[in-house]
Amino acid sequence: MVINYGSFYDFPHLFDKLMNDLHDPQPTATRRATFPPLYISEDDTSVFVRALLPGAAMEDVELIIEDNTLVLRGELKPVQGKYHQQERPTGSFQRLIKINVPIHKDGITATMKSGMLFVQLPKSTAMQPRTIHIQPR
Amino acid sequence: MQQIPNRIGKRPRVQPHADFVEREDGFYLYLDMPGVEKEKLHLDIENDKLSVQAKSDFGLTSGERVHSMEFGEVEYFARFEVSELVDKQKVSAKFENGVLTIYLPKRKEAPPKRIKIEVL
Repeated sequence: MVINYGSFYDFPHLFDKLMNDLHDPQPTATRRATFPPLYISEDDTSVFVRALLPGAAMEDVELIIEDNTLVLRGELKPVQGKYHQQERPTGSFQRLIKINVPIHKDGITATMKSGMLFVQLPKSTAMQPRTIHIQPR
Repeated sequence: MQQIPNRIGKRPRVQPHADFVEREDGFYLYLDMPGVEKEKLHLDIENDKLSVQAKSDFGLTSGERVHSMEFGEVEYFARFEVSELVDKQKVSAKFENGVLTIYLPKRKEAPPKRIKIEVL
């Protein structure tokens, strides 16, 4: 009998386990280290920052742009009453988002809709890609 | 494989964070469901089971280049058992700032009993 000590000996079993774990409902109870979770993306003209802030009203959130850092801070207040179960985060939060491209600061817009903050930071026109027309000589 | 993965390619199904709070007038259930539209939220109460289902939509477009993704579009799903103490006819719900609040009033017939302590 040959004993297989290879690292991948158990691989088929591990793979099956992974595939089974994948389509179970994902428990979100494991608290994420950072709050709020962000989604940062860009296109040719703007940088987009989305943040999940369920329960925050517009006046609970403060948004500041410094040199090249977007500061998002605020506080989530706990609800009144006797808690039997508490999973929703409360307390103050702050996140710094470094923006590495020059931003046209006067054109920044922020909207809040059903618990999601959406910030649009237009890039400086100098940074936007421009097509250069080639002229015949 | 024991099971054919029928959820592959679908958005993950998550249980929203929930707070369950008791006040004098009844119980309040708070569910964090950011990115959900009120019209697309399904809230059913059947027998003693309360179930909530909704899909989140963050307006993500495919033209964007993603730098950091800490959340994605999901399907929220939660099921709760409603206590005997709750008057199921008067359950109400509202959706505000991405939080679903379900109000479960206490049944009138069962007022909190106060036990008098007599001094001997």
